[in-house]
Amino acid sequence: MPTAEEIFTKVRETLVDALGVDDDEVTPEATLVGDLGAESIDFLDIVFRLEKNFSIKIPRGELFPESLAADQTLVKDGVVTPQGIAELRSRMPHADVDKFAKNPKVENIQELFTVQMIVNFLQNKLAGGSA
Amino acid sequence: MTNLEGRTALVTGGSRGIGCAIVHALARAGARVAFVYQSNVEAAERLVSELAREQLTVTAHQADVRNKDAADEIVRALVESWERLDILVNNAGIIRDSLLATMSPEQWRDVLDTNLSSVFNFCQAVTRPMMSARYGRIVNMSSVAAEFGNKGQANYAASKGGVEGFTRCLAKELASRGITVNAVAPGFIDTDMTAAVRNAAEAEIKKAIPVRRLGRPEDVAQAVLFLAGEGASYITGQILKVDGGLTLGGF
Repeated sequence: MPTAEEIFTKVRETLVDALGVDDDEVTPEATLVGDLGAESIDFLDIVFRLEKNFSIKIPRGELFPESLAADQTLVKDGVVTPQGIAELRSRMPHADVDKFAKNPKVENIQELFTVQMIVNFLQNKLAGGSA
Repeated sequence: MTNLEGRTALVTGGSRGIGCAIVHALARAGARVAFVYQSNVEAAERLVSELAREQLTVTAHQADVRNKDAADEIVRALVESWERLDILVNNAGIIRDSLLATMSPEQWRDVLDTNLSSVFNFCQAVTRPMMSARYGRIVNMSSVAAEFGNKGQANYAASKGGVEGFTRCLAKELASRGITVNAVAPGFIDTDMTAAVRNAAEAEIKKAIPVRRLGRPEDVAQAVLFLAGEGASYITGQILKVDGGLTLGGF
């Protein structure tokens, strides 16, 4: 079982390869879209590379969940509903949903996707949890 | 002249017609080539031995391109043995011509599945290895029928129109990964598939073609070869007509 530090180092290498960013840009707080410039296809690429680098399988939607926006009970008028927040907590125990809940605009969802979120996910996963 | 030394390629519908010419062209340009064929073992073996006489190694894989699992397995095995797959040519295609009023659901489905679903099957299979390699050349086979239509080919034209839309979407999805996705749209090419139409109306057809001859499979293969080369890196999402001017219109 690798330490959090070892996982972070490997995640950083993965993101440097996938996104063509510099080492020092990949901080735990960095957001994938806002800070590191990831686009939709990059999320797929990141998952592929994590699977390879950590020798694990990451089922579709587990690390980066599918969009909530199609469901009116989860997102209404551009804001994630309390039910949507609950849904996020259950789908993304590895993300800092508390922070998001303070300003739950749907466009802020992407701020959940941080480097630390990936590290948390892998820690759970490698510990044998369902993440 | 396109040089494909060190590159690897997979061609569907490779044993006959245009596909056979594409296998020849890619192999002669230096690529290691595998092709998929449906049923004609004899034609496939002939092609392999023909190229073997030129000291070129190509391998033949019998499979139904409509079958997603078969596509995944072929691509997996090739990537395992080659460690990379640089070029995919989705050439497999059939016609089942009929006026719409009498077209059977099987005629519709066979053509859509073979010509369009096969493109989904193989493109999806190669996406991951090509993304990892940050390199790829995908060339899909369309037809001028996609844009212009022909009586009795609603199924075929629909499948090829689908291929063209698919090509543009995938081009956008994969562009940032060094992967280009283009299509070639042949006009009237002299192959087994078009023999019936040719026999019925060859003189008429030639009159309509400014170049005044039917296309040869090699004419199409040269366009594919160009798009499959490293030099075509800034061309993506395009449909290249190879039709001797057939669709130019005017006089």
